Formats: sequence, structure tokens, C-alpha cells
Amino acid sequence: MERLVFDAAAALTILFAGLMVMHPHPVKSVLALVVSFFGLAVCYVMLSAPFIAAIQVIVYAGAILVLFLFVLMLLNVGEETRGRERPIQRWLSAAALLVFAGLLLGLLRAHGASAPLSFGPLSGDVAPLARLLFSRYLLPFEALSVLLLAALVGAFVLAQREKGA
Amino acid sequence: MSAVDWLILALRVLIPLGVILTVVPMLGWAERRGAGLIQDRPGPNRVGPYGLLQLPVDAVKFFFKEDVIPANSDKVLYVLAPGIAVFAALTTFAVIPYGASLPAAGRDIPLIGADLSIGVLYVFALTSLSVYGIVLAGWASNNKFSLMGGLRSSAQIISYELAMTTAAAGVILSSSSLRLPDIIWAQERLWLGFLPRWNVVPQFLGFVVFFVSAFAETNRVPFDLPEADAELVGGYHTEYSAMKFAMFMMAEYVNIVVACALTVTLYFGGWSLPGFHPEGIVGAIVSILIFSAKTLFFVLVFIWVRWTLPRFRYDQLMRIGWKALLPLALVNLLWVAALILVRWI
Repeated sequence: MERLVFDAAAALTILFAGLMVMHPHPVKSVLALVVSFFGLAVCYVMLSAPFIAAIQVIVYAGAILVLFLFVLMLLNVGEETRGRERPIQRWLSAAALLVFAGLLLGLLRAHGASAPLSFGPLSGDVAPLARLLFSRYLLPFEALSVLLLAALVGAFVLAQREKGA
Repeated sequence: MSAVDWLILALRVLIPLGVILTVVPMLGWAERRGAGLIQDRPGPNRVGPYGLLQLPVDAVKFFFKEDVIPANSDKVLYVLAPGIAVFAALTTFAVIPYGASLPAAGRDIPLIGADLSIGVLYVFALTSLSVYGIVLAGWASNNKFSLMGGLRSSAQIISYELAMTTAAAGVILSSSSLRLPDIIWAQERLWLGFLPRWNVVPQFLGFVVFFVSAFAETNRVPFDLPEADAELVGGYHTEYSAMKFAMFMMAEYVNIVVACALTVTLYFGGWSLPGFHPEGIVGAIVSILIFSAKTLFFVLVFIWVRWTLPRFRYDQLMRIGWKALLPLALVNLLWVAALILVRWI
């Protein structure tokens, strides 16, 4: 049962991720991404990580993609018109796809799945996650926050310069 | 799970759902009568006693009106949008405990739809999704007023969600759990023998921020900029008619009920009352009544505020969200952390 739900959610995630890339209309692309993130959240829940699932929905589907939509609607972007395609672009993208698929398969074969998928009961205990985050992974955690702050300051500086000019 | 367990689960979920769907149209009546009371005019009083039969009449009217779908709209999203709004609003209630546990059929039945370990986050996840209903309605209508409404809504909800969740983080911190029943149990005891240990006492600031943000999240006056009938005709639902329009109205009132129920749960002890220890079936029923009374009180405050305050300007709305509510929520968080450090709570 859990396996079935997980597989369905995973398939939905991949399907809508593909749709997001393919769809010519940017607003529809964002909506496809919302569904894809939702499927991902269901996957997390099935892997007994409800906390990550909730954060996934709140942060990505609930905040970041709403911002995307806001910008797209503000600019009132229509369907994108396909520019002139060169045949070599298709060949290059097909080659890139093959290379990355090969890399992924090789990695999976070399390391394998370290542990089989486990569908335990919903524990959702936040404490172990928090303990790891603030002890073993403290440095990456802080580095990440500095990185985000840098992006924020950068955006602010760019906006200010435009106003001055 | 046996058949009885399934039945109990179904009843646990369906009964509150039915109650909400019954109460919501009555809130429409209460709102219009309340408006009449505050503005010193009768309000609807012609159909039935106190105008109560206005409800079924309006419902019939919504069902039989012509359902217009604009020619140049995005048909799929246009139809989907009201559904998303109602769905997100209704599913939120599933994790809110509406009473103490009920002993029946040899079991102790918890009076809650789904007792999730991440209850609070579930509520915030779904309320953050409810904005899609409004934004999509605004975009799919292909109408500039609707688009403005949807735009305002997305900016507003992102701004106020931040303050709301930061305020709620204070409650999570003090009860050290994300489960809503745990949060209620943490508020059950007394201070100095008579003061209820409700979170509103130590975290009054957090409560104010949370409650004000709840007005913005539910698009209610003074934060009803996405609708703003004086500027945008009807905002995001300008093009909607008949039952689709009614669904947006329904979503709004369900959101109000959920926001009030959540306020009661987080800050006012949910179904608990100082000195009241629920026992047996009577205790469970009394606890449900306590919870309903507290929630109803805040719903009436929502109506009271709507007919008392004027609407904010858009720049004022943004300023209040980012420069007032968010810093206050952060101060509240530090305050709670300090209280925990000195072991006062």
C-alpha cells in the first residue's frame, strides 16, 4: 500500500517536472512545478519524514512559487515564442541527456541504494533533525545562511544602483 | 482496522465537516445582521423570523443563476480556482482538535480528524496553498481588475505569512511540540492557582501579531485589498458568478472559522477551561461546546472588525506587515526564549 502511494507520487512528480520544462506558457510551467513539489512532499511523507514534507510545501510551493507567479503576472508574460532552432541543439541536448543518464546509472551501480526504502510509521520527530542540524552540520548550515544573506544584499545593491542612475 | 474503527474514523472526520458546512452559510447571515446592528439599520429581516430563511433562499439563488465563463478566460484554471480555494480551506480543519477524547464503543476516541505529529505545520502548509485559488482566479479570468486582485493577494499573503508563522513559532517553542493536542495539554494547568496557563498570557504580543495576520490571510477588512470593491469591482472574483462565486464566499468563511479555531487552540487553550476536567461522554460534549463557544467569539470579532475599520492603503498594508508585525513577532520569539531560559514557562 505505502509502496503503491510512493510510486504513484514519484511518477506524478517526474511527470509534472517534465511538463514544467516542456510547457510553452510560463504560468502553466509554474503550476506544473507546484504539482511536482506536492508529489515530492507526498514522497517525503511516505518515507516517514512529515516534517520535511511540510517544510517543502510551506517554503517552495507556498512561498517561492507564489513569488514566481507574482512576477510572471506582474509582467503579464504570454506564451513564449520558440526561437529559431538549429539541428545541432537537438543533438547536443540528446548527448547531454545520455551522459547524465550514464553518470546516474554508474553511480547507482557503484554505490547502490545504501538502504532499502523503509516505510515506517510517521514519527515526525523534529528533535533529532534539529540536533544534527545544530551540531554535526552547523558549519554548512551557517554557511548557507551567509550565502542567502549575500544574495539578499546583492539584490538590494542592484536595486539601489538602478534608482541612483 | 475493524469495521467499527473505520466507521469511527469516518464520523470523526465527517461530523465536523458537516458542522462547518452548516455553520458557514449561517455566518453569512450573522455577518449581514451584524452589519445592520453596527450601522444602525435592520439588515435582512423579511424572509422568515429574523431573516433566517434568507440563507436557503440565497443558496437556491446561487444554484440557479446563470454560470458565466468569460470567452477569453483560461477555462480549465478558471473552473479549477474556486475548487482549490474551498479544498484548501476545508482540509485545514482536519488537524484541529475540537474536544477532549470521547469514551465510546470500548475505545477512547480522540476528537480530532487526524492527529498529525506536525499539526501546526500542516495548517500553515495548506493555508499557504490557499492563495493559489485566488491568484489563479485572478489570472485565469483575463480581466485587469481580477489580475490586480490576484497580484495583491500573492504579495499580501507572502508578507503576512512570515509574521504569522514567526508568531506561532513562539507557541511551538513554549509547548515544545508541533502536535496541536500537545499544545492544548501544555496550556491546561493554572498559574498561582487561578490564572489559566493559556499562551495568550505570556505571549500577548505573539497573539496580537497572529490575530492581525489572520485577518490578512483570510482577506478580511481591513486587509481585503485583493477584493477591494471600491477600487477593483470585485477583485479576483469579478468575473465569477453563480455557484463558483458562492464557493469563493464559502472559502472565505471557512478560512475565518479555521483561523479562529487555530487562534483558540494556540493561544486560548482550545477545548480546555481552568478547573474543568473532562470525564466521560458528558465531559467530551462539554469540551466541544467550550471549543465552539471560544471559536464563535473570535468569529464574531472578525465580523465586528469588518464593519468598524476602514480598509488600509496598499503601501500601508506592506509597511505594517514588514516593519511592524514581523519585528514584533521576532521580539515575541526572543521573549519566549528568554522566559524558557529562566524557567518561567
